[in-house]
Amino acid sequence: MKFLVLVAKNLRRNPLRTVLTALGTMMLVMVVTLVWSVLWFLDQATTQRSENFKAIVTERWSIPSRMPYSYAATLREGAARAPGDVRPLDWMTWQFYVGTVEPSPQKISLDNMVFVVAIDPDKALTMLEGMDLLTPEQHREMEQIVAKAKVNKQGIVMGRTQMARLNKRVGERINLYGLSNFKGLDFEFEILGQFPPGRYDGLSAMHVDYFNSQMDAYPSRHGGRKHPLADRSLNIVWLKVPDDQAFNHIAAQIESSPLYTSPPVKVETLSSGVGTFMEAFRDLLWGLRWVLTPACLVTLSLVIATAISISVRERQLEFAVLKVLGFRPGQIVLLVVGEALLLGVSVGVATAAGLFVLVNWYLEGIRFPIGFFDVFFVPPMGVAVGAAVGALTSLAGSLVPAWTARNVKVADVFAKVA
Amino acid sequence: MSSPPADGPLVRVRDVHKFYRRGSERIDVLNGLTLDVAEGEFLGLMGPSGSGKTTLLNLIAGLDTPSQGQIWVGDQLISAMSEAQLARWRTRHIGFIFQFYHLLPVLSAYENVELPLLLLGLSAAQRRQQVLNALELVGLSDRLRHRPGQLSGGQQQRVGIARAIVTDPTLIVADEPTGDLDARSAEEILDLLCEIRATLGKTILLVTHDPRAAVRADRLLHLDKGLLVEHAPASSPP
Repeated sequence: MKFLVLVAKNLRRNPLRTVLTALGTMMLVMVVTLVWSVLWFLDQATTQRSENFKAIVTERWSIPSRMPYSYAATLREGAARAPGDVRPLDWMTWQFYVGTVEPSPQKISLDNMVFVVAIDPDKALTMLEGMDLLTPEQHREMEQIVAKAKVNKQGIVMGRTQMARLNKRVGERINLYGLSNFKGLDFEFEILGQFPPGRYDGLSAMHVDYFNSQMDAYPSRHGGRKHPLADRSLNIVWLKVPDDQAFNHIAAQIESSPLYTSPPVKVETLSSGVGTFMEAFRDLLWGLRWVLTPACLVTLSLVIATAISISVRERQLEFAVLKVLGFRPGQIVLLVVGEALLLGVSVGVATAAGLFVLVNWYLEGIRFPIGFFDVFFVPPMGVAVGAAVGALTSLAGSLVPAWTARNVKVADVFAKVA
Repeated sequence: MSSPPADGPLVRVRDVHKFYRRGSERIDVLNGLTLDVAEGEFLGLMGPSGSGKTTLLNLIAGLDTPSQGQIWVGDQLISAMSEAQLARWRTRHIGFIFQFYHLLPVLSAYENVELPLLLLGLSAAQRRQQVLNALELVGLSDRLRHRPGQLSGGQQQRVGIARAIVTDPTLIVADEPTGDLDARSAEEILDLLCEIRATLGKTILLVTHDPRAAVRADRLLHLDKGLLVEHAPASSPP
């Protein structure tokens, strides 16, 4: 205990240097913790979880996937056709739509565009990723929104970023005019609610029936011509399966079924599907993981090593005195490493905990749009990461100075003083 | 290697050589020095700069090892000990008083004196008692919480002396303890050393340039070019 007090008191020796070192440590721990949080989140998304095993069915040879909506009726049964065939536990269809609130083509911009998925409201709470992580209050709120969406088929649930960008509030109405492939598909919505903060900030959802009814009504407004996407409006089907054995069965049932030949479909795990999509960001993620993070760790180690080295050089006489008093070389090493560790760990924990509170509670996530993901949070484990980063870098940075202090020659030091 | 006689002097220095190398040059500091210091003796060491008196003090205090020869303190052959063994031995047997006090500036007087006790595995209550005793002996019971920067030179040296005696060492070595003090403070420190020697019966080795300090010693030795060249009798201690 007294040893710890001695270590702590040594940090007060030069408050300015300690504060500057702490600030440097804080900045770098912050960067590393944020990068780790993003990578952790993406790893989670691309790692299959046994309690949430999903199969994803898409068009086999085309990106983006476009299948006839008629596929949905049998796909949601896992293409089971014989008595012994395996059926999924749950299912969900995804139909993508991009529209704009701006009727004038000259004024269309990214700021007034809205990305919407048409889904069955019943599936929002059971199938959407991350809904199992909501707080009880958020869950209750989502239940109320889903109940409204089931009744009001012209309702839309919006992501927070989209609502803020369009300056819209819950209860207001919004018209969307189809863009690109969706040209001619227009919708009138009432905003029923907003998604909880986080991964759905950049996404909105409408009722699947409203989307399909507008698609069906298209010919009546366009001289009997079907919409170009009328037979290709189903983008993805999710199937919840109990385990990988069931997944393999269902995948075989679907891929061998004669029902899906034009176009053919493929079945993969959701994590694998997300992973495939994230391939586009492979270089960026590689850079974050293997360039930025190591660079931060090395820089942090050097910052600490510099500060501790200066401190050790200034205190050679003091280490000599400690040796005279009977401190052994190992204890001198502990003293120096202890100072660095105390600083590194305490600043690491404080920074990561502060970041956790700031990002998760006040900023409601860090905006870093990548793939499907828009906002990232610091997981609780991030605090331990901050501590580990602080500990490891301070340990690495203090070893050489500690060895220098350990090897102080008492007689030489006092000869210089004399 | 023969053991020293059971009832012999406390410190036995036998044919000790110490040299350093500077590049290819060999610098001899001590040349076959032999010395005995009796238990309870107050021995003064004088000599010009570079004569080897601090080197001799460092060797006897286990801060350095001789190039050749043996040094016994009590029944311990310290010249054959490793650095870690010497460190452990110093904790229990040596009290060192420096010319420039060398107190840790971030610690209070109390904490500075307590520092060597942290290595002895004593309870907090035992440490507290010993620290308070030592500080009372040097007359600084009312300065426990003062940092070195808040004390005068004489007071800092008193803290240094308290730190040297707090472990109840076998031997107290003092390297010019009055060298950084004014005349009055120097006299007070010398009085204190004599009192410690008288009340606690400690053996004291004092290196000094100061004739006022030298006369306090029971015996005064002169070192020149690494050899004991003169045994000058000192006046009786007060």
